[in-house]
Amino acid sequence: MEYNGGAVVAMVGKNCVAIACDKRLGVQAMTISTEFKKIFQATPKTYLGLPGLATDVQTLAEKFRFKINMYKLKEEREIEPRTLAHLVSSTLYERRFGPWFTEPVVAGLDKNNNPFICNTDTIGCINFAKDFVVSGTSTNQLYGMCESLWEPDLEPEDLFETISQALMNAVDRDCLAGWGAEVVVITPDKIITRTLKSRMD
Amino acid sequence: MDALVSKYAHSSASPLDSSEGFSQAGFDAAQQFALPMFDIPMVSNPIDFLRAHTDPSAENRIRIQHGTTTLAFKFQGGIVVAVDSRASGGSYIASQTVKKVIEINPYLLGTMAGGAADCQYWERELGRRCRLYELRNKERISVAAASKILSNMVYDYKGMGLSMGTMITGWDKTGPALYYVDSDGSRLKGERFSVGSGSTFAYGVLDTGYDFDMSVDDAIALGKRSIYHACHRDAYSGGSVNVFHVKESGWEFKGNFDFDKLHWDYQAQPKGQIV
Amino acid sequence: MADRYSFSLTTFSPSGKLVQIEYALNVVSQGVTSIGIKATNGIVIATEKKAVSTLIDDSSLEKVSVISKNIGMVYSGMGPDYRVLVNKARKAAQAYKRVYMEEPPTAILVKEIASVMQEFTQSGGVRPFGVSLLIAGFDESGPWLYQVDPSGSYWPWKATAIGKNMVNAKTFLEKRYNEEIELEDAIHTAILTLKEGFEGQMTENTIEIGVITGSPTVQEDGVVVLPEFRKLSPNEIKDYLANIA
Repeated sequence: MEYNGGAVVAMVGKNCVAIACDKRLGVQAMTISTEFKKIFQATPKTYLGLPGLATDVQTLAEKFRFKINMYKLKEEREIEPRTLAHLVSSTLYERRFGPWFTEPVVAGLDKNNNPFICNTDTIGCINFAKDFVVSGTSTNQLYGMCESLWEPDLEPEDLFETISQALMNAVDRDCLAGWGAEVVVITPDKIITRTLKSRMD
Repeated sequence: MDALVSKYAHSSASPLDSSEGFSQAGFDAAQQFALPMFDIPMVSNPIDFLRAHTDPSAENRIRIQHGTTTLAFKFQGGIVVAVDSRASGGSYIASQTVKKVIEINPYLLGTMAGGAADCQYWERELGRRCRLYELRNKERISVAAASKILSNMVYDYKGMGLSMGTMITGWDKTGPALYYVDSDGSRLKGERFSVGSGSTFAYGVLDTGYDFDMSVDDAIALGKRSIYHACHRDAYSGGSVNVFHVKESGWEFKGNFDFDKLHWDYQAQPKGQIV
Repeated sequence: MADRYSFSLTTFSPSGKLVQIEYALNVVSQGVTSIGIKATNGIVIATEKKAVSTLIDDSSLEKVSVISKNIGMVYSGMGPDYRVLVNKARKAAQAYKRVYMEEPPTAILVKEIASVMQEFTQSGGVRPFGVSLLIAGFDESGPWLYQVDPSGSYWPWKATAIGKNMVNAKTFLEKRYNEEIELEDAIHTAILTLKEGFEGQMTENTIEIGVITGSPTVQEDGVVVLPEFRKLSPNEIKDYLANIA
């Protein structure tokens, strides 16, 4: 987690969810890239956030892309966010004694457009949450921000503002995360993706 | 209870803050130059004990503000000192507004890298000694002598966990002077130094843009830019840039520049010629 | 000459047939009849259960099997082969559940079983399964009734029959079936269809019935609960039989 740095957060709103990440890739103290992708679209209404060791982030993103595509072909339907969470969990637990160094976050709307968010630890223990989940190097700061900023039933635009402020202010207190941010808000009829400017130090 | 406290509160060495040196009839001038005394762990080998507990790999290490970028360089107009302002404990950013240039006296500046408390304490102690020197000798201490006092003081505590990497700059009879002093006991005279986790990045910019004959404004801009780039690339440096100019009349504070503003200002500027 | 192609089950005959599979279908068509009917609110599968001797304790015989919470299965053909498939199907269902923490949809389980049966038509040292299966399942997409043959082919049905009396039974079902049929009617129809070709006395001990009915519900925490497949007890069957007579 600390080798490359990075932070991911997801929040539930009223008939919508949001997921956000920073864009830093570092090698310990040295910032290598400020355009590193940490959240991935799993289905039209589900995103997967993978903060952690960059090599594992990219390998797992491809592994899950493969699994999600195979699921879609076999079952002739999109995978539900809850099902994806369990798939992520079982995939991580397969490496119980040599884990993938990432703490995934799943955020999406299910087929009835009900919000779903969760995260897991590096070996797949799922944490279902009704409000927000945080992951990566800035978890302490993110918990503090989310606990104070989040409120129930936020509309998409308010949710965007809340998650953006939470993430930006959290990573501004973390040496290993920041350098720009990406926010995705998932609503029943559209997906809003925005790139945020933030402190670059 | 009081008895218990007094039993264990005493130090094996004479305490630093004891009033003995000042109020007693038998005043001993030499004591003003004696090393400050600290309570040290009451174990058979305090150095081994402290090394084990202050080693970077030790789990229970207590230390904040390790990441830093500081630099100072001589040029025709004197010396420019520029530093960042971030304090970090582990990966947590404890402060973005730390003053890492320590104003020892109107002619001497010290920079701060490593342990904040160590730098602050020892450079203040250095200031005290420099003032005593001034009073006794009716002239300002040379930068060479001042830096050597600091170097000698911290050398006595070598291996006991002091952590500082500092640059002592000033203007004395010989003109502008710049020394690097660290807690390992190194003391180096030089033209250009950069200290801290972001020093490599700063050196890159500094060496590329350096010219002894540059103007004061250009030198300040170069110092600022070097720290800026280090703050961008080094996770443990950031906050803002503080710049000082050391000249014949003493040092002058040139300003505090927030990193965020610098970044977007620099982004808007056309890229400069490198070659 | 024909023997040359019956020797290896993986060799096509000049006419394009795999005769071992044909033989397997012959076994099925001699097997005991099984019926399946999909109703608007559920499914029923049923079969005869006749012991070869009156001395056999038939209370432990089981031809209708629960595969997972929401899927059940019955067969016509060879009992031992069926048991192997039941084991494989149950394992497949649990393997799916281990990964996704939810019951496999009917179609997924059917494909899984069908691919096992297909493998046994193409592998060395094995023979095809001497069974056809009727698989009844209720998932989020509704009730499903599938037939799987020894070749590994499978189809969804509204109502069908396999085994000895399948031709007559199917004709009977075609007459009795309608799109609006409800489960209670479907159970009656299934019993009546079985009765058509039934030899001897039909009692609660000589037929087996499995049903699945209800609709998927979503819990407070978002977890979907599917209807449960269950076998009718002899007492329940007795009541149905009493109503028919």
